[in-house]
Amino acid sequence: MAGRTTRGESLWLRYMVLGSWALVCLVPMLWFLSIGLRPRTEIITPQPVYWPTFSLDAWHALWSDWPIGAYLRNSVLAVAGSVVIDLILAIPAAYSLTRYEYRGREDIGFYILSTRMMAPAIVAIPIFFLFRNLGLLDSVWALMLVYAAINLSVVTWILRSYMMDIPKELEDAARTDGASDLRILWEIIIPVTLPGIITAAVIAAIFAINEFLFTLLIASTANAYTMSVALANFTGGSDGIIYNAIALVSFLAFLPIFILVVLIQKNLSRGLTMGAVKG
Amino acid sequence: MASIHLDNVVKRYGAFVGVKEMNLQIADEEFLVLLGPSGCGKTTTMRMIAGLEEPSEGDIRIASEVVNGLDARDRDVAMVFQGYALYPNMSIYENIRFPLRMRGVPKNQQDALIRRAADMVELGDFLDRKPAALSGGQRQRAALARAVVRQPQVFLMDEPLSNLDAKLRASMRVQIKHLQRKLRITTVYVTHDQIEAMTLADRIVVMSRGEIQQVGTPDEIYSDPANTFVAGFIGSPPMNLIEGQVHSGRFIAPGIDIAAPGHMHGNVTLGFRPEDCGIAPDGQAGLTGTVYGIEPTGDSTFLTILAGDKQVEVKAPRDFRAPLDSCASIALDPARLYFFDSATGQRMRSTQ
Ligand SMILES: Nc1ncnc2c1ncn2[C@@H]1O[C@H](COP(=O)(O)OP(=O)(O)OP(=O)(O)O)[C@@H](O)[C@H]1O
Ligand SMILES: [Mg+2]
Repeated sequence: MAGRTTRGESLWLRYMVLGSWALVCLVPMLWFLSIGLRPRTEIITPQPVYWPTFSLDAWHALWSDWPIGAYLRNSVLAVAGSVVIDLILAIPAAYSLTRYEYRGREDIGFYILSTRMMAPAIVAIPIFFLFRNLGLLDSVWALMLVYAAINLSVVTWILRSYMMDIPKELEDAARTDGASDLRILWEIIIPVTLPGIITAAVIAAIFAINEFLFTLLIASTANAYTMSVALANFTGGSDGIIYNAIALVSFLAFLPIFILVVLIQKNLSRGLTMGAVKG
Repeated sequence: MASIHLDNVVKRYGAFVGVKEMNLQIADEEFLVLLGPSGCGKTTTMRMIAGLEEPSEGDIRIASEVVNGLDARDRDVAMVFQGYALYPNMSIYENIRFPLRMRGVPKNQQDALIRRAADMVELGDFLDRKPAALSGGQRQRAALARAVVRQPQVFLMDEPLSNLDAKLRASMRVQIKHLQRKLRITTVYVTHDQIEAMTLADRIVVMSRGEIQQVGTPDEIYSDPANTFVAGFIGSPPMNLIEGQVHSGRFIAPGIDIAAPGHMHGNVTLGFRPEDCGIAPDGQAGLTGTVYGIEPTGDSTFLTILAGDKQVEVKAPRDFRAPLDSCASIALDPARLYFFDSATGQRMRSTQ
C-alpha cells in the first residue's frame, strides 16, 4: 500500500463512517418500502426470506381501497398552510421581541415559549368544542390553524435567535438611509435571516406532518384525514392490520420531508450553526 | 443649509454618563472633527445627532429646528458607521443605491450617482460583489460611497478611513475634503489620526471622558492648548509635561531651572513641544539631562532625554547623533513655553 497517503486513508475512513451512519438511518425507510411492496404472506412469515418477491399490488390496492389522494392533499394543504401562517405571524413577532424595547418584552417572549410546554391533552377538549362551535370540525382549515398554533412558539423562538445575531448597526444604517421599519424588515432583516426562516419552516413542517392527537380529534372523514391519522385506520377494521398500507403510507409521509431537507440541506446546516455562533 | 446645535446634551447609560453636559455649535458648511481617546463619547455624540440615540437631557437642533424625538430617517443625514454596516444581502451597487431608493431619487438619475460615488472611492470594479467578498478596506470605502452618494444636510463620518493604507488614506482625505467643500455640507468627522484631524478640520473638538476639553481651529488646539489633557493628546509625539515648583519667578524641576512669569507660584506643570526646543550650543541650556534614546525618522531625529526621572522628547536635526547616557543640554524657546496649574490641569496664561 505504498501509494496510499494518510490523507487519502483518512478520507476513506471518513466516508466509511458517514456512509455506515447514513445506512443505519435510511435502512428503516428502505425496509418499510420493501414491506410495502411485498405480498402480505411473505411479510408476516417468521421464516427469513432470502429471495423477496416485489410487486405493486399493495400499492394499487391502497389507491383503490382508500382515498389516499385526499389524505395526501389534506396533509400537504394543512402543513403548508400552517407553515405560511406561522411565518406571517412569527417574523414580525420575533422582530419585535429582538428590536423594540418595551416593558415586559422578556416576559412576553417567555410566555410564547411556555405555550409549547403545556401537555397537549390539557387543551384537547376545549379545542374540540372551540372548533365545533366555529363549525370547523372535520375541515382542513381547522387543521391548518391547529398546526400553526402548535408550532408558532417554536418558529418564533428560532427566528428570534437568528435576528438577535444581526448587528444593530445594520438597522441603524438603514434607518439613517431613510428606510421605514417595514422596509427594514422586508429588505434587510428577512433576507439576512433567510437561512433561519428556512430552518424554522422545515422544523415546523416536520412537527405538523407528524401531528396526530389534534388531527384525530378534528378529523372524522376523508375531508380532513391526513396521512398520519390514516395510518391509524389501517390497524383496526375487518381486514386486521394492513401492514402493506401502513408501510407505504409511512414511506409517502417521509418522502416529501426527505426531499425537502436534501434540497435545502446547505441552508439548513449553515442556518443551524449561524444561529449559534456570532459573526 | 444646516447648522447643528447641542445644548446641554447629556447621555446616560444607567448610572454611567457617556456624554456630559455638552454644548457645541457647529456652523453651516463647517467641517468639524471630534478627537479623543477610545470610549470618550465620540460615537455616542454622532449617534445622537443622527437620531439613533435619544439624549437623556438637553436639545439637539439641526438647521435651528429641535430634532429631539425625530426619527433618524426623518433627519436628512448620511452616516458612515465605525463598523461599516453594509447590507450583507446586497451587492455593493445595491448597497450604494439603497439610500437613493429610500429617499425617492428618480430611477434614471441613480446609476450615474452610484458610479460617481464608487469611482470616488476607487471601487468601480467591485460593484457586483457582495460585502463578504471584499477586504476590510474595500468595505470601508463602500460604506463611505454609500454615505456620499446623495446630498444630505449633514454628513456624519465615524472613522471612515481607519482601515486604509497610508497612501489610500491620504488620497481619500483629499477626496473627502474636496467633496465637502464642493457640496458645502456640514460635516462631523471622528478620527484618531491627528494628521487627518489637522488637515481636514475647520475646527477640532477634543473630548475626554464624555466632556469637551477644548474647541478650536487646528492651529489653536496645537499652539494654544487649554489644559494638560489637550496638550498631552495633540502632536506626535505630544507636548512634554513636567511637574515642578515655581518659587520667586523661577520654575524648578529636576534638570530644569528657568524663568517663569511673575504671578505664578506653587505646583505648576511646564509644557513645551519637542519641535520647539533644540540642542543648546553652549552654557545657555534650559534643561539638562542624559540621552536615553535616539530615534531617526528620516527627516528629523527624536531624542529622549532623561531629566531626573522624567522622559523628555526633543526634536533634533536629522543628522544629530549622540552616544547613550551622554550629557545633553537643551535650549527651550521662552516664547513657546506653556504653564499649567498642576492641581486642575488648566492653563495658566501670562497676564503681561
Ligand atoms: N449602549 C450602551 N450602553 C452602555 N454604555 C455604552 C453604550 N454605548 C456606549 N457606551 C459607553 O459610552 C462610552 C462612549 O462610547 P462611544 O462609543 O461614544 O466611544 P467612542 O469615543 O466612539 O470610542 P472609540 O474611539 O473606541 O470608538 C463608552 O465608555 C461606552 O462603553
Ligand atoms: Mg466610536
